[in-house]
Amino acid sequence: MSVVVKQLSFSFGDKPVLKDISMDVGDGEFLGLMGPNGSGKTTLLRCVTNYLHPAAGSISVDGQPLESLSPVDIARTFAVVPQVSATDFTFTAYDIVMMGRIPHIGSRLASASKADIAAVAKAMERTNTTQFADRQFSELSGGERQRVVVARAIAQEPRTLLLDEPTVYLDISGQIEIMDLIRTLNRSQGITVVAVLHDINLASRYCDRIALLSEGRLDAIGPPDAVLTPEAIQGVYGVEVSVRRDPMTNAVYVMPRSPVAPVHRHGTRVHVLCGGGTGGVLMRSLHERGFSVSAGVLNVLDSDFESAKDMHLPVIAEAPFAPISPENHELNLEMIRESDSVVASPFPVGPGNLKNLEAARIALRLRKRFYLIRSRPELAVDFVGGAAESIIKELISSGAVVVGSVDEALSAIEVAGGTR
Amino acid sequence: MVALSRTGEAAALESRFQRQRRRRLLFLSVLPFALALSALFAVFVGSLGPIGPGDPVKMTFSEAIDAILHSEGDWPADYHAIFWEVRIPRVLLAGLVGAALACAGTAMQAVFRNPMADPFIVGVSSGASLGAVVAGLLGMTAVAVIGQVISPLLAFTTALVTVFVVYSLGVVKGKVYVDTLLLSGVAVAAFLGAIVSFLIYFARQEYHRIIFWLLGSLSLASWTPVVVLAIAAGIGTLAVFLYSRDLNALLLGEETAHNLGTDPEALKTLVLVMAAVMTAAAVAFTGVIGFVGLIIPHMARLVVGADHRILVPAATMSGATFLIWADSLARTIIAPNELPVGIITALCGGPFFLYLLRRSRTRGGP
Repeated sequence: MSVVVKQLSFSFGDKPVLKDISMDVGDGEFLGLMGPNGSGKTTLLRCVTNYLHPAAGSISVDGQPLESLSPVDIARTFAVVPQVSATDFTFTAYDIVMMGRIPHIGSRLASASKADIAAVAKAMERTNTTQFADRQFSELSGGERQRVVVARAIAQEPRTLLLDEPTVYLDISGQIEIMDLIRTLNRSQGITVVAVLHDINLASRYCDRIALLSEGRLDAIGPPDAVLTPEAIQGVYGVEVSVRRDPMTNAVYVMPRSPVAPVHRHGTRVHVLCGGGTGGVLMRSLHERGFSVSAGVLNVLDSDFESAKDMHLPVIAEAPFAPISPENHELNLEMIRESDSVVASPFPVGPGNLKNLEAARIALRLRKRFYLIRSRPELAVDFVGGAAESIIKELISSGAVVVGSVDEALSAIEVAGGTR
Repeated sequence: MVALSRTGEAAALESRFQRQRRRRLLFLSVLPFALALSALFAVFVGSLGPIGPGDPVKMTFSEAIDAILHSEGDWPADYHAIFWEVRIPRVLLAGLVGAALACAGTAMQAVFRNPMADPFIVGVSSGASLGAVVAGLLGMTAVAVIGQVISPLLAFTTALVTVFVVYSLGVVKGKVYVDTLLLSGVAVAAFLGAIVSFLIYFARQEYHRIIFWLLGSLSLASWTPVVVLAIAAGIGTLAVFLYSRDLNALLLGEETAHNLGTDPEALKTLVLVMAAVMTAAAVAFTGVIGFVGLIIPHMARLVVGADHRILVPAATMSGATFLIWADSLARTIIAPNELPVGIITALCGGPFFLYLLRRSRTRGGP
């Protein structure tokens, strides 16, 4: 079944909450609804269930306007798992799940039929809640309660499941359990799912599409890898993130980086020679201290390359797995010439990137301040049969400042930078 | 799929709850018999008949039954009339008032989603008190026939007007806000209570009568209130029962109730109106009989659980039974005088409620 939202606007009093939202949910789709707190996600769900009535715009279900459906029709179409479920009254977990059958029990005088009882039993079994069927709902833990409410939604046998942060009280195993269950319902029974999710990684892993709301507007909608870009997340949440792909599921995942206060860029330029993931922390630390950092030469796909790119640092990139070309080596030297200092991380050296050590030698010859981080000298960095080690020795003897860690390197550079 | 093949567990769950349902229905089917036996017993309790203080006349059971069934016989001529015009209507009225208050209390607790709500929460008792006190001060209660009609009518009307005012204060743009409703109920009750106290201060010779009414008594029972209350309580309890499944959903919050296919706004208004009318009718004839509408729903809930499909009939019948017993006690304990039944309900109800509360707490249930 499909839900079409057209130019929907909603306000609480004179405070607009949703502004001109148009989107559609396809039959059998798993749609994630994301956005910061207060961006209107829950309100949108409440409009879809006709609990709130929009000021403008329309919602239709399989081509029928929402207002033309009776409350019971709507309850047979949508089942909702709300953010919080609580009651002061002594219902058992079983009673709660049985309430999902209310829209299916036609007469006010009728009691639950065999089919109703079977649906409840099946829903409790699927959500693994049978063992506390006769316990008081109010005595269950947050996670158990959430599973009972999901069981109620399943017992309701809806065509579309609307979930408002279904994993909010759950530990990581509970999150995966519930999300896997919902995806199973989605894939095997064709139940359409619309879920408000806060966990971006969970969303990208399970959702076919993600709708990103920002201040009541639909900011973007599409497949997770198209919507969850660092730019979109920065724009909507105001947080810097790195976006990566899980190598095993190919789902994108994001890692937030601590918000960096706008730093005074003092213009001291530092060029970093790194690779193999050894330079990320160094580049970030320098960047956050206001140095103008550049890096090279790095292969695309190297995580140091990704880090440099995330920080928008000038970086000389080489094709994946390719040895450093003479052109790029020349560009690297160009950047070294323009720098005040050069730092080399303890990067592994192979035939492909031996030229970076060559560049270090030239840096010293150009009388640049050169720092060599040797955090763990026992660590094998030489994959070229001693050639790298001999260059390093030569670098040390011709004036390279050897430091034991990134922190030492930073203080050494800062002290030297101040004398410039 | 793995989950679907584990049907053994599901089957066990099904049969367990079929058994539980049978147990609850069995309990429910015992209640009408308890009610009928209590009513029968209460008819024979009093200053005449086989049970009670036995002053002035002690009758045997067969004599008493004869006096009920035959207008003439081997006993004083007015005994037949006493049974039919005083004793039986009084027992019926006690049952109806108890049923109405217990059912209204159950309904109010559901609408307010608050186990501490009672039938008087929206201002019924304070409104009715004002009407009754005004009627008393105008000397209407002293006038034989008119007093018996006007005073309840005035109390009933002021009760409903008060409820309407409180309800209007709790409604904004067609939506009933129960927390606002609750607080307006408290505020309006306090305000009217002050007026009532002020009026009582000037009541002088009507003072005793008014206090007696305020404490709640069934001594004015006759067939008219029985018929009126039978209609009000009949419609009210039936309506509440028919919407009991919706009330279950409402206890999970209005949004969930909506998502389960009910209409919470219509439900709240309907149930509030039904409960208020039932309560107003009861209070108009008998004064403010407290605790029944608070304790009986609680007791019933502790026994049968929160499912209103069982709870509403269980509380209604228990309320009727309880008030019949309380009234029997009220009219015999200091015979030939009688106590206001409201004192008895509070005296019995308070401690028993505390006992149940403690017991359920130590068991871990709320």
